[in-house]
Amino acid sequence: MRQWMNIAKEAIARASIVVKFICLLHVTDAYLLSSSHVLGPSMLPTLNTTGDVVLVENLSHRIGKLGSGDLVLVRSPLDPKKSITKRIIAMEGDKVTFSARNHSFLSLVVPKGHVWIQGDNLYVSRDSREFGPIPYGLIQGKVFFRVSYAILIAFEFVPNIDFHCLYLFCNVGNI
Amino acid sequence: MEQLYIYSEKPLFALCYPQICRHCCYCNVLLVERISIRTGKLRPGDVVILRSPQTPRKIICKRLIGMEGDQVTYVVDPKNSDRCKTIVVPKGHVWVEGDYIYDSKDSRNFGAVPYGLLEGRAFWTLLPRKDFGSLAPKPKS
Repeated sequence: MRQWMNIAKEAIARASIVVKFICLLHVTDAYLLSSSHVLGPSMLPTLNTTGDVVLVENLSHRIGKLGSGDLVLVRSPLDPKKSITKRIIAMEGDKVTFSARNHSFLSLVVPKGHVWIQGDNLYVSRDSREFGPIPYGLIQGKVFFRVSYAILIAFEFVPNIDFHCLYLFCNVGNI
Repeated sequence: MEQLYIYSEKPLFALCYPQICRHCCYCNVLLVERISIRTGKLRPGDVVILRSPQTPRKIICKRLIGMEGDQVTYVVDPKNSDRCKTIVVPKGHVWVEGDYIYDSKDSRNFGAVPYGLLEGRAFWTLLPRKDFGSLAPKPKS
């Protein structure tokens, strides 16, 4: 009888360690840091078409420390089951000038509580130029690190795009 | 499942002016489940909580009126006129309205909200005691 009780106690102790570890993993993944596999040509040359594993941190958008130039993972406003990776070009209150598909220039002010996102590869990117500014609440995290597939021990930081390239297609200024 | 403190649509406005309505501030405690949002099993008439598209830190509670592709007819400004407008809810979006349309800031003000902003579906009232039970369906006007 005593033997079964000891075995049961040990089993519960070991199970609780596993449960605690899973809880810790879940909290870290949901609120601190998670990884994501992103693919598609809309973020060339920053991210590859064939796919990149990136680290996404989920803390910045909760404390409001996101700004222009940040790469973010957002829930797509067109298809809620998909997440897309784009760059924040303008925050609320900024004025954005962009070229629409028919090569005319349009200008608007980003409304309150919204952000303007664009892909780095403007020719094939479906972004705010198509569906408008997105609510800040759709942002899931900020991409800050890329894990290279070729050599797993070589890491590179995601570069900040030169704003001169953006100037041709998009003006950003505070009103 | 989680409990949360929310303010129902009408007193949210009343709370801004405590000198007028000192005694009509009350809050509802609702039970909210997140599974319906993930599986997509929402129907018009459900009470949902969502992140406000204008103030991202605020969570608001409204009733789901239309899913994507639905045609929604709404009263534009019920305090001043009876003018109605009909729109089709765009893809990936939902139309939400408060039950007390005279005093509610909802999709009639900020438009259809993306589905990704929905956080949960409220299905049970815990407080106040007299309302304990499942949430009432939309009152017929």
